[in-house]
Amino acid sequence: MPRSRKRSAGARKRRSKRRSRAPSVWLRAPAWMRRLAAGVLALAFAAGFWCSAQVLALDRTVRERFEGVQFRVPSRVYSAPEILYPGLDWQRMDLRGTLRRLGYREARESRDLPAGQYVWNPRRLRVHLRAFEHPTRPEPSRDVVLRLSGSEIRDIRGLPSGEEVGVVLLEPEPVGAYYGPAREQRELVELEELPKHVVDAVLAVEDQRFASHPGIDLQRVAGALVANLRAGSIRQGGSTLTQQLVKNFFLTPERTLNRKLREAVMALIVEARYDKRQILESYLNEIYFGQRGPTAIHGVGEAARLYFGKPAASLSVAEAGLLAAIIQSPNGISPFREPERATRRRDLVLDLMLEQGRIGNAEHAAARDEPLRLASLSPESSDDRYFLDLLERQLADGYSGEALSEEGLRIYSSLDRRLQGLAVEALRAGIERVERRVPALHGDPTRPLQGCLLALRPRTGELLALVGGRDYGSSQFDRCVQARRQTGSVFKPFVYIAALEPNSGKPFITLASFLDDSPLEVKTPKGTWRPSNYDGTFHDTVSVREAMEHSYNVATARLALEVGLDRVTSVARRLGIESHLPQVPSLALGTADLSPLEVARAYATIASGGLRPRVQSVEDVVDGEGRVLERRNPQFERVLDAGTAYLATTLLQGVAARGTAAGVRAGGLSGPVAAKTGTTDEERDLWFVGFTPDLVAVVWLGFDEPRPVGVPSSAGALPIWRRFVEAVSGGEIRGAFPRPASVRRVAIDPRSGALARSGCPQSRNEYFLAGTLPTHECPETARKQQRGLGERFLRWLRGTG
Amino acid sequence: MGWFQRFALLGLCVLAGWSWGCASPVGSAATGRISLAEAGDPARRASNRLVVEGLDADAAGARARARSRYQRAVQIDASNPFAQLALARHCLEIGDPTLAISHLDHAELLFDSELELRRSFEAHVVGLRGLAERELDPPNGGDALLEEARRASPQIWGDAWLDAQELR
Repeated sequence: MPRSRKRSAGARKRRSKRRSRAPSVWLRAPAWMRRLAAGVLALAFAAGFWCSAQVLALDRTVRERFEGVQFRVPSRVYSAPEILYPGLDWQRMDLRGTLRRLGYREARESRDLPAGQYVWNPRRLRVHLRAFEHPTRPEPSRDVVLRLSGSEIRDIRGLPSGEEVGVVLLEPEPVGAYYGPAREQRELVELEELPKHVVDAVLAVEDQRFASHPGIDLQRVAGALVANLRAGSIRQGGSTLTQQLVKNFFLTPERTLNRKLREAVMALIVEARYDKRQILESYLNEIYFGQRGPTAIHGVGEAARLYFGKPAASLSVAEAGLLAAIIQSPNGISPFREPERATRRRDLVLDLMLEQGRIGNAEHAAARDEPLRLASLSPESSDDRYFLDLLERQLADGYSGEALSEEGLRIYSSLDRRLQGLAVEALRAGIERVERRVPALHGDPTRPLQGCLLALRPRTGELLALVGGRDYGSSQFDRCVQARRQTGSVFKPFVYIAALEPNSGKPFITLASFLDDSPLEVKTPKGTWRPSNYDGTFHDTVSVREAMEHSYNVATARLALEVGLDRVTSVARRLGIESHLPQVPSLALGTADLSPLEVARAYATIASGGLRPRVQSVEDVVDGEGRVLERRNPQFERVLDAGTAYLATTLLQGVAARGTAAGVRAGGLSGPVAAKTGTTDEERDLWFVGFTPDLVAVVWLGFDEPRPVGVPSSAGALPIWRRFVEAVSGGEIRGAFPRPASVRRVAIDPRSGALARSGCPQSRNEYFLAGTLPTHECPETARKQQRGLGERFLRWLRGTG
Repeated sequence: MGWFQRFALLGLCVLAGWSWGCASPVGSAATGRISLAEAGDPARRASNRLVVEGLDADAAGARARARSRYQRAVQIDASNPFAQLALARHCLEIGDPTLAISHLDHAELLFDSELELRRSFEAHVVGLRGLAERELDPPNGGDALLEEARRASPQIWGDAWLDAQELR
C-alpha cells in the first residue's frame, strides 16, 4: 500500500512538469468550447451523482428486503390428527376421503410404495404414511397394511416386518390460514432440502446460465431480441432468474424501459451482494405458481402441496418438471384445467434437462412416461372459518394479527375434521327442514333463520366442532360464541343442582322428593309474576323427576325461590356461566341471555363429574423455525361434587328417556344420553343441549333479530342434535356415565318416595348421595312388617313360635 | 352329611375366607394386574396401547411425546381411566400437582364405574393423590395417603414414587 502511494505521487510530479512546459489544450481552446466542455462535465458529474444516488437507493431497497423479513408467511391451522386402530369403522370415519384431503394418492401395488401413496383393495389398504414433522412429538414415516373386514379395520401391520402395529396416527390436516391483505400462501423451503432435480428443472427452463451470469444474461437478451424481431411482437423474455426475482420482489409487471433498467441494475446489485445459493433459494420461495381459489400460491414448497399433496422434498423428476413448466404461465398452463398443455410443456422441460445434461436418458424416459397424477384440489372450506375466528380471538393475547398473517406459525388445534363436517351437514339440513315445515320463514331472504352447533369433549374441554351460522360467506357473526340469547329451560338443571347439592351437609331435595306445581304468584317491582307451564295446566304435586323430565315451569320456579336465587346463580357461575344473570324469579326459567359456548361449558362440567374444563381450541403453537412457542394443556377446576353432578346427569338421562328430549331416540340411537330442550317465549329461541360420556353438543336455532320460529325445540333443534350425534356415533353411543362411590342406588316407591322393600307394589331405582337415603318405608311394607310382628307375637303366645 | 362332604364344605369355607381376607381395602397392584392392551372394546384397547406408548416415552424422558400419546389416548376414549392416571403421573413428573389432581379426580370417577379395575389401581390413585397434595403450594398434607399406598403396595410405593415403568 505505501509503495503504490509513492508511485502515484511520482506520476503527479511528472504530469505537473508537462503542464508547466507548454500552455495546455484547455487554455488554447476557444472560450465557447471551454464553456461547453465545462457544461458537459458538470452535467456528467450531476448525472453521475444522480445515478449513484439512484443505485444507492436501489441498493438500500435490496438490502432491506434480503436482510430483513424476506417473506411474509401466513400462519396455518391444523386439525387434530385422525387415529387408526383395529376395530375402527373406517367407512364412518371416511378414511378414503381423509387420505385424499391429506393429499395421499392412490397407486398400484409395488414393493417400494413411496410415502404419501396408498393401494386400496377390497380387504386391504396399504398406505405409506408420511412423517409428521413436529419439534417435540414427531411421527416417523411408516409403510403399513390395514386388513379390512366389512367396514371395520381388523388389524394394522408394519411393512416389511409384518409386525402388528396397533395404532397409527395420520398427520394433522390443514384447516385454514390467517392471510394478510395480499392473501399469499407459501411454505418456505431451504435449498438443501430440495432434490437436485427440482432445482435443475427450474434452471433448465428459466435460466440455464444462472451459475455463470452476473445477473443479466446478454446472450439470452440478444436471443430474445432476435426472436421477438422475427415474430414482430414480444414472444420471448430475456430475463434471468435474478431479474425475475427482482421484478417480483420490488417492481411492477409493467413493460417500460425505466422498469427494465431498474430491474437490470437491481439484478446486478443482488448478484454483487449475495451468493447464487441465496438468490436461488429466494427465487424458489417467491415464484408464483397459481391460485387456490382467492389465495395466491407462491414457492415450490406450497406448489408441491397444491399440485401433488406432498412436500417439495419428495417431488419426482416428472413432478419437478411440471412445476418448472408452469412457472411461465401458472394459470394458463394450469395442470388442473389444462392437463394436456401442462404435460406437453412438462415434457419440453424434461427434454431441456436431458439436452443440458441435467438428467440421463433413463431418467428422462421414465419421467416422460409418468402420467400426470395430481392431488385432489380441495378448496378451503368457509365452514371452518368460524372456528378459525374463535381461535384467532383466543390467540389474540399472545399473537397480534400481523404475527398470525406473517410469521408462518403452525397452530395445532383441537378441531376434529370429521365432526366438523358432520356438524355443518346436520345444521344445514336441520335449518332447511324447519324452513320446509314453516314456509312463512322464507319471508325475508336477507334475514334468514339462523342456527349454530358446537361440540366439546367434556373431559378435556377441547372444542371439536363449531359452526357459528348457516353460511359464513353471508354472515361472519358467530352465534355460538358471540351471541347471547335467552336459554329457556336449558337453564333449569342449574336450579335442580342448587337444590340437590348438599348445603351445610344436607341437600334441599333428593331425587325422591316431590315439588309443588300448583299456581304461583310472585310480587315483583314490575308487577305480579305468574308462571305457567308449556301445556297450559298445573300438576299439583309432582316428583322431581317428573318436573324435570316434562320441564314444568311452575314447580321449577317455586323450587328456585325456595332454594334461593343466590344459590342458583352461584351454581351457574361455578359451572361456567359468565354472562349477566338478572336476580329475578324468572331467572329459573331461563330468561338470562347466555351464549351457547358457555352453556356447553356448564353442561360439560356436569358431564365430567363436576370438574369445570377450560374450553380450549389450541394444542400447541410452533414457529417458522420449528420451535414450540407454547403448549396449552387442559385445565380443570372442581366446582361441584361428583355425586351431585351424577344426580343431575341421571335427571337429564330421564329427560332423554321419557321427557321432552325423548325424541333423541327416535332414530334408534342407543347408549347413554343426557339432554335438555329449551324453547323461549313465542318460540323465538330453540335450544338443545345433550351429552354422552365423551361429547357435549349444543344446538341453537332462531333469528338474529328475535322473532317466532314457529316450532318448539323438540321439532327444531333436537333433530339437528340427533342427526349429528347419530352420525358421530354410528347410532350406538359407547361407555357409561360413571357413578361415583358416594352415590347409592336404592329402590323407592315412586308414589311416596319411601324405600321400597318386599311388599311394596311399585318400585323404581333411584340415586342418592350417601347419607340422604329415605328413612321411611313405603306404606305397604310398613303394614306388612307390622302384620308380621303381630303374627310372630301371637305365635309366641300360643307357644307355637 | 358324610364326613367327606363336611370336610369339603369346611375346605371351601376356609378358601372363601382366605380370599376375602386377601382383599385389602387398598387393592394390591400385584394381585389385580390386568393386561392393559387386551382390556375393553376396540377403542379402549387402542387407547390403552397409546397409554403404554406414552409410559414408554415418559420412561425414556420424551415428555412431550408421552403427553401427546396420553392426549391421543383420551381422544380415542375419553372415559379411559388409565389415560387419566398416566396423565396424573406425568403432571407430577413435570411439576404440575394441580393438574395432576384434576386428572386423578377424572381417573377416580372413571374407575368408580369399573369396580374390578378400581381395586387393582386404587393404590396408584391414592399414592399419586398423596404425592400431588404434598407437592401443592402450600402443601395439603398427602403423607397419610402416601403411607396408605405404601402399606397396600410396598413394592411400588416403597420409594414414595411411581415410575412410568411401574405404572406400565
